[in-house]
Amino acid sequence: MPANLQVNVGGLLMKNPVTVGSGTFAYGQEYDRYFDVSRLGAVTTKSLSLKPRAGNKPPRLVETPSGMLNAIGLQNVGIDVYLREKAPWLRNKGCTIIGNIYGYSPEEYAELARRLEAEGAADAIEANLSCPNVHDARTARGCTLVAQDPQQVTAYTQAIRAATKLPLFIKLTPNVLDIAEPALAAEAAGADGIAIINTLLGMGIDPETRRPILSNIVGGLSGPAIRPVAVKMVWDVAKVVKIPIIGMGGICTAADALQFILAGATAVAVGSYSFRQPDASMKVIEGLAEYCERHSVANITELIGAMKV
Amino acid sequence: MPYLSECEVTSHHELSPGHYRLVLHCPEIAQDAQAGQFCMLEVQQGYYPFLRRPMCFERIFKDSVSILYKIEGEGTRLLSALSPGQSINVQGPLGKPFPLEANHARHIMVAGGIGIAPFPALAEAIIAKLGVTPEIIIAARTDSMLLCEREFQQMGCKIHLATDDGSAGQKAFASEVLRALAPGPDTIAYCCGPMPMMKATHRVCEDLGVRCLASLEAEMACGDGVCLGCVVEAKVEIEAERMVRVCYDGPVFDSALINWDNY
Ligand SMILES: Cc1cc2nc3c(=O)[nH]c(=O)nc-3n(C[C@H](O)[C@H](O)[C@H](O)COP(=O)(O)OP(=O)(O)OC[C@H]3O[C@@H](n4cnc5c(N)ncnc54)[C@H](O)[C@@H]3O)c2cc1C
Ligand SMILES: Cc1cc2nc3c(=O)[nH]c(=O)nc-3n(C[C@H](O)[C@H](O)[C@H](O)COP(=O)(O)O)c2cc1C
Ligand code: FES
Repeated sequence: MPANLQVNVGGLLMKNPVTVGSGTFAYGQEYDRYFDVSRLGAVTTKSLSLKPRAGNKPPRLVETPSGMLNAIGLQNVGIDVYLREKAPWLRNKGCTIIGNIYGYSPEEYAELARRLEAEGAADAIEANLSCPNVHDARTARGCTLVAQDPQQVTAYTQAIRAATKLPLFIKLTPNVLDIAEPALAAEAAGADGIAIINTLLGMGIDPETRRPILSNIVGGLSGPAIRPVAVKMVWDVAKVVKIPIIGMGGICTAADALQFILAGATAVAVGSYSFRQPDASMKVIEGLAEYCERHSVANITELIGAMKV
Repeated sequence: MPYLSECEVTSHHELSPGHYRLVLHCPEIAQDAQAGQFCMLEVQQGYYPFLRRPMCFERIFKDSVSILYKIEGEGTRLLSALSPGQSINVQGPLGKPFPLEANHARHIMVAGGIGIAPFPALAEAIIAKLGVTPEIIIAARTDSMLLCEREFQQMGCKIHLATDDGSAGQKAFASEVLRALAPGPDTIAYCCGPMPMMKATHRVCEDLGVRCLASLEAEMACGDGVCLGCVVEAKVEIEAERMVRVCYDGPVFDSALINWDNY
């Protein structure tokens, strides 16, 4: 009998544990030309803001050893266009939707969550408290990301929690000393799950021109280069919180995804690797099923946090 | 509708130092591909380089396409090691092709360096679909980098050569050669090459009232409209529509749409 891949992520039922990283799958339509995206456990949208955003000036991306740096700056269609054009398409496809949101204040996040719930345009909310690409790097110093300050994580999470009954996931940044602190803050403030990791801060300089490679100077590192860091952070968080974790960071194959699950993730997201292999997330689902069969695992949930130490 | 296919290399030759022509057997892609579109090549199996490499179609045949490329770095160096019989994963066709507009008497293609790559396919399409023979300006740093002269001769195109060092043709920039050809409002220009060269070509066209289509380049991750990494700034008031994706909204744009002040 094929293994049961279904997971419950803080109240969100996913038919398999695989979703996609916000911002690496747009709103699903493009990659539906390569595979049926409704086969995913869930589609996670690009971060949505109240107003459409143009994002940063180019150049916005550069390849790095086994990964990439990006400073997109949250270019997105905005909540109105999402509700009018993108959500109906996802709904019509039968996709489970994790609506990722970004705002400039707790009130904006709350408003976004409220609208997604009211319009039935998401089955869960993922609050991106960790985008590294919306500050002026020349002057920024210290904690510029909400997710770097546990007190702010508490305030933001409480505000969103009060605004929605949908499962609420808080997306955290790896750019902290101890990832357990913001994770515990989110849990205590009512989050139903933790999504980790967002990108690691990085930058590049062209020695010939002596200029930064990205117009924003600083960007976020993603891809296989960050995978070991991400697996460790999932493990760190799994040790201290009771709510489920959506693990991501450099996942390319089912074997990569299994590292996150064994470290304690209930679900996983394929991010940048979709750029290389648009159907990578589907291959991960197939690989997980094959692994379960080969290891006589009846329920994939048996593997969560099952690393042998 | 793009495909992801394993394609066999049917031939692969070095044309001049660092410049290669790769022919790939890819019936599905070839059937749909149009001049100006491109594909994303998976240059190796592992994670370094991590991303695919964008390459446009030099020519489009019934079951195959050819790609003309220049070695720039690790990705193209790996590509150059492919032998006939080996296969490579190709994603494509991607992007918007050159529009074929019948209302112009004169068609001039302006190529800078490896920017020549999309023009053999475009010339064939213009000849076949519009029944006009385009002219071409082939510009490069030096004469060993002038490519495809024979192909354009065979198609009957009028060729204007230019090099930065005067080693072949005129010692002039492509945009100056274009101005000297005195194109008018009945002309359409197509350009592809380094950004400064396309900017200069755009300015000449603007001066002379010539419609100009530019095939832009940008660093790409997905090549398919998803990551928003490859954008250029367009002259659009509405903030939400200002950043256009080279891979999805382009790579071919009306040059008047682009904000060239950034280059
Ligand atoms: C739509 C499109 C079509 C193209 N068609 C052709 C073609 O037909 N023939 C050809 O020779 N070249 C073409 N290029 C440029 C080609 O993609 C780059 O030269 C190539 O990616 C360089 O890779 P590399 O690993 O050898 O160099 P590296 O410099 O090591 O590449 C590192 C990174 O920079 C990017 N990069 C480097 N140079 C460029 C560039 N000039 N443009 C875009 N990205 C770059 C690469 O994609 C990669 O992510 C095209 C580019 C685009 C956007
Ligand atoms: C181009 C790009 C855009 C991204 N945009 C967003 C975003 O809008 N919101 C968000 O929460 N995370 C965003 N991310 C982060 C990813 O969702 C993911 O957390 C990160 O890339 C790590 O996973 P990966 O290594 O598999 O890519 C983006 C990542 C990339 C590469
Ligand atoms: S390369 Fe990803 S949107 Fe163009």
